[in-house]
This record gives sequence, structure tokens and C-alpha cells, in this order.
Amino acid sequence: MKRCWIFALLALCLLPAAGAGSFDDAMKAVAAKNDAAALPLFEAALSADPDNLQTSNEYRKAVIRTGEYDRAVDFYGKLTTAHPQAAFAWLNYGYAYVDKIPAAGSITQVILANNSLTNFTKSIDVKRSWIALYTRGNSYLYWPKIFGRAPLGVTDLEEAVAIARKEPKRRKVYVRSWIALGDGYLKTGEPEKAKAIWREGVQLFGNDPQLQARLSREGEELEKYVYDQLDPNKRVDTNLAPLWEGE
Amino acid sequence: MEPPTAGSPSPVLRFAVLLAVALLAMAAAPAERWFEDVTARAGVAAKHVNRTFHNPYAAIMAGYTALGASAAVADFDGDGFEDIFVTNSAETGKNHLYHNNGDFTFTDVAEKAGVADGNDAANASADALWFDYDNDGRPDLFVVRFGHSQLFHNLGNGRFRDVTREAGLDRYANAITAIAFDYDRDGDLDLFVGGYFQPINIFQPTTPRFFPESFETANNGGGVTLWRNDGHGHFTDATREAGIALSGWTLDLGHADADGDGDDDLYVACDFGTDRFLRNNGDGTFTDRTRETTGIDTKKGMNVDWGDYDNDGWLDVFVTNITDDYMREGNFLWRNNGLNESGEVTFTDVSRETGVHDTGWGWGAKFFDYDDDGWLDLYVVNGWVSAGPESYVPDVFAMITRPNVDLTDARNWPPMGNKSLSGYQKKRLFHNQGGFFKEEAARHGLDSTRDGRGIAVADFDNDGRLDLFVANANAEPYLYRNVRPAGVHWVSFILEGRKSNRDAVGAQLRATAAGRTQLRFVDGGNGFAGQSSRRVHFGLGSAAAVDHLEVRWPSGLRQTFDKIPADRMWRIVEGERDLKPFSPEVRKK
Repeated sequence: MKRCWIFALLALCLLPAAGAGSFDDAMKAVAAKNDAAALPLFEAALSADPDNLQTSNEYRKAVIRTGEYDRAVDFYGKLTTAHPQAAFAWLNYGYAYVDKIPAAGSITQVILANNSLTNFTKSIDVKRSWIALYTRGNSYLYWPKIFGRAPLGVTDLEEAVAIARKEPKRRKVYVRSWIALGDGYLKTGEPEKAKAIWREGVQLFGNDPQLQARLSREGEELEKYVYDQLDPNKRVDTNLAPLWEGE
Repeated sequence: MEPPTAGSPSPVLRFAVLLAVALLAMAAAPAERWFEDVTARAGVAAKHVNRTFHNPYAAIMAGYTALGASAAVADFDGDGFEDIFVTNSAETGKNHLYHNNGDFTFTDVAEKAGVADGNDAANASADALWFDYDNDGRPDLFVVRFGHSQLFHNLGNGRFRDVTREAGLDRYANAITAIAFDYDRDGDLDLFVGGYFQPINIFQPTTPRFFPESFETANNGGGVTLWRNDGHGHFTDATREAGIALSGWTLDLGHADADGDGDDDLYVACDFGTDRFLRNNGDGTFTDRTRETTGIDTKKGMNVDWGDYDNDGWLDVFVTNITDDYMREGNFLWRNNGLNESGEVTFTDVSRETGVHDTGWGWGAKFFDYDDDGWLDLYVVNGWVSAGPESYVPDVFAMITRPNVDLTDARNWPPMGNKSLSGYQKKRLFHNQGGFFKEEAARHGLDSTRDGRGIAVADFDNDGRLDLFVANANAEPYLYRNVRPAGVHWVSFILEGRKSNRDAVGAQLRATAAGRTQLRFVDGGNGFAGQSSRRVHFGLGSAAAVDHLEVRWPSGLRQTFDKIPADRMWRIVEGERDLKPFSPEVRKK
């Protein structure tokens, strides 16, 4: 019953509602390669429908293209103040910080990553969802070992995997939580558990190239591969479209 | 089994031969190590001690002033052997002037020479620079200090005289680096001094707000001061009129003619923010062309060294930054692309592609051809503070992530205590394999874990092999003797300017041997906390002669020489037609 509730909620969150007009206009501006014009239209749409994942997703993509990272951070700050119970607004507030990380210096990256975690936590506090737990858990894995955050990531990712296991429909996007949980096990010194969860991922989701890449490596080569994937200087894919695009 | 015949050894003999070969191979293994640590027996093992402060912020400052270990090489007494000046930083610590005895031993003559007293309650030695500011043929000594730096005139009798005040250089600065080159090409060496902290008295600060305002864009540091040499023993602050307006946290300066227009440009490595590239306009001014040439970075620039690592005839730049688990900046190896359509030099960072991206918390780095194969290798020292097992990283990041923290206020910074920060890091020796580098430090015994700061490269025994002196913070230095096997050729040149500055700083040499041309130049102290020999050394590999040599003097004069025999040192005097063999014996005569 709870599973159905999560998906019903997710479906509701994906449907452009009161701000649909602005969303459509924004997408037209994007199609016309006029991101600058699209940004305020997306913002208007989100102000009317703060939890809408699709609108936020398109908004942040336009932000990345224009480099208007601070604008997005400011906007989500105001949006969550106005709508503190909008779990996915909090989630996207976190993503807005993540999106800025590759454009920042190494110290600012830490500050941005820390701010994003704060907002992911707010999202989870409002509503425990697969996407929020996967996101926060995966974020913890990017932190250097010295901060000891990988075990927190493992806890979140185990919960995300547990949620996904219970879902009646095996959505392809869930494979990401299997991949990330294995990475978490590897970072916390449990390579055998990592291999086991990746093998389970193959059984459940087929030959995902990321799983294959990990399972085909051993020892130092595997560690290097995983650590390279978790390089904060590379842009993290925060595109949420796979949640609704036929996966 | 066939019986042994007269022509084939018995199995026992075969075994014995194999065993002997194996033993010989084992015995030969150490010969693979081309550097020998001779620090103690050479008599240069005096320990560097960091400065401790006696003010309300002393506990915090201790973590950020683990600096001041440096080494500068010159033949100060003209006996043909390179000597070393080494700084200490403790309040009662003496600086050292190690006179080269010619047999790879040294004698500390600093007290007798009058250059030992570089530290007191109001001054801490940070670096040193030899340069012949008065063109009298004797290297003079500039001791870079937090406080008032010192200029010592070399009197030529083994003694020096402090001429700081009469030279116009008596000014408080938290100076950390200095180089000298003739930026205006008037025939004398000008002095560029980099400041770390802004020029407030950090021994007794009147405000707690003297720390960097940002980790990535700080502009409240000591900047760069240009002292123009007026040719009569006096310097004038020409910073502003030369168009230099920098206020970053300078850690190192490096000069070279990047764009091939005959005058030397300037690269400034800045901690807590953007490095700067200043183009020399050739009219006594510089223009900041950072954005156009390298772009704006947010890293922690520590070291600048110039060299043509890919032998393409353009001088490249190596800059160390911080690379560790918690801060993955990566170094810069700025490959010089030559001139673009607008006639402007540009650079591309190729540190990843060439294998020199990660050297930990990098400090001094020097290009040098340790195996004389004609390709510039690279030695990099690293490590910030190697202390107790606890890490300082969480402490500093707790501060960084605190909302609205005022970073300029020293009181907000956590004391480091006995914690470590990027400590116990292994030094890196990169062997250049035709434009790509392979790490070889462990093989050659150069992978120490002391907190390295400066590197000075010189041929201390005049045997044609480049040796290394490494200054370490709060630790003993290293003197590494190069003992690479014989069989490869080399040549080195000692230049004497006439119309150009006497030290010939800025002169470029292009040596062609066996079809390959190498570019080297005389540098005026490039590299963090380490000044190498100003002799210009070429590794020639199997070539027993230089087929052709072109010298471009700072004055603009170009000279060429042909068919120069290898494996010796030559003296070149600006404008004189013939090369002269150089040897310590000749100099003594």
C-alpha cells in the first residue's frame, strides 16, 4: 500500500499543474535556444507547483547551460522557505548546489557539497523517498575518506535498495542504487559485499555497463575505477529524466 | 643426460656461473640508484627549525608558517665550485653559508662571512637569492625575510657587508620569495619580491584580521614588489609604474621569455587564489594577461619553474598545487602553445596527460636532466606538516563550512597543535620519456617523507652530473649526489654578460646535437625556496659534441658557436668570439 502511495505521489509530482502555462512557455523558450528567457518562466511554474520534479529538472538543465548557478540556489532558497513541506523542492535545492560543484574551486566544492547534503536531509525529513535516499547516500560517497561519511552513505543506500526491492515494478533507474551501494561497500572496506550487491544488480537489471565495468575489475584497479567515478571535479549527472522516461 | 664435453661446462660449473651472475646482478642492483644521500658526510646536515610566534595568535599561526627552509646556490668566492646558502627560521637560528671544499664536503663559513644572522625577534628568514646587483662579477646575497629583508654585498674577500639601507631596500614585508632579472634590459638585475601576508607586523599584529579572506580568490596578501636597479647600487620601488598591481598571497615567482620577443615575462604563483601571468611589454611595463593565456584558477599555487620539457623550442611552466584526498586540485604543467593569431602566447595544462598531475601537497619543483638524455626531468618535493597521527583536515573543514565565517580573522582558524596535514608524503622524481613522465623517486632513493620546501640543482663536484640539495621544513636537509653511470655526454656553459647583466640572467641557449635542439636559459632564482646554479647544463646522450650553439643575450646580441666538444664546462663572454674552457684550476690561476 505504501509503495502505491509513493508512486501515486511521484506521479502527481510529475504532472505540471497550476504552473503548466509557464512550463510550456519555458519549454518553448528552451526549444528556441533562449535559456535566459526560459529561466523566469520555469521559476514561475515552480512557484505554483514547487514539488514538480520535471519542471525542476528542466529548470536546472537550463541553469547548467547558462551557468546561472547562484540564481538557482537563491530561487530554491526562497521556494523552500515559502513551501517547507515540498520534499522535492528541497531535493532540487540540494541538486542546485551539486550542479555548481564542477564550476567551483576545491574548497568551495566542499561548502557546496555540504549545503547540498543539508537540503537532501530536509527532503528526507519531509518524506523518505527512493530518490532522496539514493541521492543523499550517493553524495556521501563523494566525500574524502577523512570525513568518515561513506558509512552514512551505505545506510541511506541500503534503505534505497530496500525500497526499490519492494516495488512491484522493477524500474531500470533503480540499478543506480545497487551500483552506488556497492561503491559504498568498497569505500568502507567491504569489497566482497560490493561484488555481491553488484552481482545481484546484474541478476535484477541485466548487463548494465556500469555494473559490468566494476565486476570486471579487481583490487587496486577496481578501487581506482570507483574512485575516479566519484571525482568531484567531474559533473555529477543530476538529470532526473530517467525517473519518467521509460526506464 | 648428455655427458659434459670439453666445450661445455659441467652442471656444477653452470650452476656456479649462474649463481655468480645472479650475485653480480644483485650487487649491481644498488648501482641502479643514481642518487646517494651524502648530507651528513658532506657537513650540511644542520636542521631547519620553524619560527614560533609570541602573540595572541601564535597557536594558530604555527600551522600556517611552517616555512622558511630554503637553499640558494652560487660560487660566491669564485673558486669554481658551487656553494650553498641555507636558511633557518627559528628566532635564534643561524643561517648557513656552506663553502664547497671541492671534494663534496662543505664548511659553514656564514659567521665569518657575516651572513649568519638572519633571524631575531622581529625577522624570520624565508628564502635567499644570489644575484650580482652591481655587476662586479661577485654574487651578492639577498636574504628574504618576514620582516626586513637583507642585501649583503660580496666584498670578494670571503666577507659580506649589509647594504640593505643604502640600497633603498629597508622596508617591512612578509616576503617569501625573490627573483632577479633585467626586466627593462638596461644591463642590471632588478629585484622582484613576493609577499605572503600583507605587510603588517606578523610578529606583533595589531589586528587579528590578517589571514586570507578566501581559499580561492584571496586578494589581501602581500602581492609583488618590483625594485628597479638604478645601476649604482640603489633600488627604487617601480611596482606601480611598471603596471604591477597584485595583492595575492604570493608564494613563488618565475621569469622567462615566454613569447620569444626578447624580454622576460613573469608568472606569479599565488596561494589561496589565482596565479598571474604578466607579459613584459618591452617598455618597462607589464600587462596582466592571465585570463587570455592560462585562465583564472582558484588553486593554491606554490612553485614556478620554467623549462622546455617537450623540446619544441618554447618555454613551459610547472606549477605545484595541492592534491590530496580532501582537495584534488592537481598541478599545472602549462605547455606553451606558442603564439596565436593575435601574436599572443597561450598555455594549455597538460599535467594529467603527461603524468605529473598529482604530487600531493606540492612545494618546490625543478626541471633538470638528471640522466643527461636531453629531456628535462622533474623533481617535486611536498608535504605540509608531518606531526602526530591525528589529521587536521576535519578541523579546518569544520571552519570552512561554518556559515558566514570571517576567514580573515585568525581567531576563527583552529590551532593545528600536534595534528598532521598532508604529512609524510613521498617526494616525486619524474623521468621525462620524450614528453611524458614516469615516476622514479623510489628507484633513485629520492622518495623521502620529510616536509620538503626548496630544491637547488647544481653540479657540486663538477663531474657533469646534476646533484640536488633539498631544504626541508623543521627537519634536516638532504644533499643528494648524482652517481649515474658513465657513458652519456653533457656540456655546461657559464655565461658572463658585458652589455647584458653580468650574471647573464635571461640569456637563452639553443644547443643542437645529433639532430636535436634543446633550449635552456639562465634563470634568476626560479622555483620555490630554491635557487639552482646559473650554469646552463645540457644532457647530450650519445652525442660527443654540440654541433651548433646559439646564445641570445638579454642585450639582444646573438652569437653562434660550432663543434663544441662535450663533457666539459665552457665559459662564454658576451661579444667574445671564442669559448674558453672552464675549470676550477683555471679559475684559481
